Amino acid sequence: MALSGPLRGPAAARRPGAGGASGAWRATAVASLACLAACRGGPAPLVVGSKNFTEQDLLGEIVAQWVDARTDIPVRRRLHLGGTFIAHRALVAGELDLYVEYTGTAYTAVLERPPIHDRDSVYREVASAYRSRWDLEWLPPLGFENTFAILVRRGMADSLHLSKLSDLAAQAADLTAGFGYEFMQREDGFRGLSDRYGLEFAGPPREMDLGLIYRALADRRIDVTAGNSTDGRIESLDLRVLEDDLGYFPPYQAAIVARSDPLREHPVLRTALVELSGRLDTRTMRRLNAAVDVDGRDVAAVAGEWVRRELAAVDDTAAISP
Amino acid sequence: MELAAFLATHRAEILLRTWEHVWLVGISVLLACLVGIPTGIALSRRPRLRGPVLGGVNVIQTIPSLALLGFLIPAPWIGGLGTRPAIVALVAYALLPIVKNTFEGIRSADPAAREAGVAMGMTPNQLLWQVEIPLGLGVIMAGVRLATVIGIGVATIAAFIGAGGLGALIFRGVSMVDSRLVLAGAIPAALLALAADLGLGWLERRLSRWR
Repeated sequence: MALSGPLRGPAAARRPGAGGASGAWRATAVASLACLAACRGGPAPLVVGSKNFTEQDLLGEIVAQWVDARTDIPVRRRLHLGGTFIAHRALVAGELDLYVEYTGTAYTAVLERPPIHDRDSVYREVASAYRSRWDLEWLPPLGFENTFAILVRRGMADSLHLSKLSDLAAQAADLTAGFGYEFMQREDGFRGLSDRYGLEFAGPPREMDLGLIYRALADRRIDVTAGNSTDGRIESLDLRVLEDDLGYFPPYQAAIVARSDPLREHPVLRTALVELSGRLDTRTMRRLNAAVDVDGRDVAAVAGEWVRRELAAVDDTAAISP
Repeated sequence: MELAAFLATHRAEILLRTWEHVWLVGISVLLACLVGIPTGIALSRRPRLRGPVLGGVNVIQTIPSLALLGFLIPAPWIGGLGTRPAIVALVAYALLPIVKNTFEGIRSADPAAREAGVAMGMTPNQLLWQVEIPLGLGVIMAGVRLATVIGIGVATIAAFIGAGGLGALIFRGVSMVDSRLVLAGAIPAALLALAADLGLGWLERRLSRWR
């Protein structure tokens, strides 16, 4: 994923014939205008996207490498895009062909419906709304759920006897919370959670970047946050997931969302993508995340290992003929 | 020392991201000059345009970057993902200092010099090119310098839409809680900003001396 973006710009700026400083500037300007005008063209590759956190980058790589291995369709990666808002708009605009989304996120953040808790009906309703509104297709779930997890330090949880969110509500007045911007904003985020459990923290929760929050939690700057249940850092930073005993959070099954056009155009693409369904359970996802976030390994390499192992497991009789 | 080793092993990617960053900022400031300087000159000639145009570039400045990029995705030609919409957004954010300083630079020309030009029978065009622009060049350059230094910081948002640049390192580092990766993006960005500020500051002083 490190080298995901094509370097059309700088490469074009180094065209021959750009002599001298002003010549170079002129060539750069001309090249950029040419690029602005003509960036599209050539055989259309399948554009695989992802949002901007590790699990998404891993899933983008996994899907890209899987399609690469199972079909002849050229693949282009557009990974680490700035959040649900950007990825969804890009998919609707046809700038992306597919990315992995979570049913709960689609249901509440994209479709703006009030949270519900039945897993199957969320998937069904999301799939039918996406199809009728944007001609987008939800493929069968990948197998794991990435729900919100309310996290505390394990040491604090032990000394305050916290294991469920109801326990937290009883002691929240002495604790400081910090949440990501998205969690503060979302319908299924902080507002609903605090209503449901009657959470009253020592002050208004701090809003900060999701990546900085884990550091802040481990460093005792805050006591409570919301993270992802598949996050590898839950183990490495010695955090505890508090049980959602009142069942507040809607289901967040991960599944590929794709534009219908490429699926219709390439029947092998659908077959290849459906092969991924049910292959990734929560524990596997947490392990892959930890390999990147905790061990500092390369996303493409971690995804590649998983893809190679699973490819070997795919039954030869199910192989797709090109 | 661990940081130095980290930077050394990631040298190739850091250089690549720095080059993307320089390219994004360079092109967008250049385009912003091509649009902004004539606009600033026009404002000095057409007082009625001042309110709406300066108000407009001020408002652009207040749009959050993620929202602006989101609006650009479905836009035809200028939109989408990647370098193109990133440059459009950066140009939009660079307009305010360039338009405003060009306008102020032209307007601040010494009235005595302007009257002398009129008395010598200069046409408005001659007055512009031979009196007002040379006298205002220092202020105009100060606007370009400001736009460049701010642009180097703002260009990190290009990573939100897959356009690369040093933001790619910074936001990946933030999402992985890896401060070395954040620094691998932030240190080159700071050095670029310093270099641009010194270089353009030198140019600005040279141009101011022309008067």
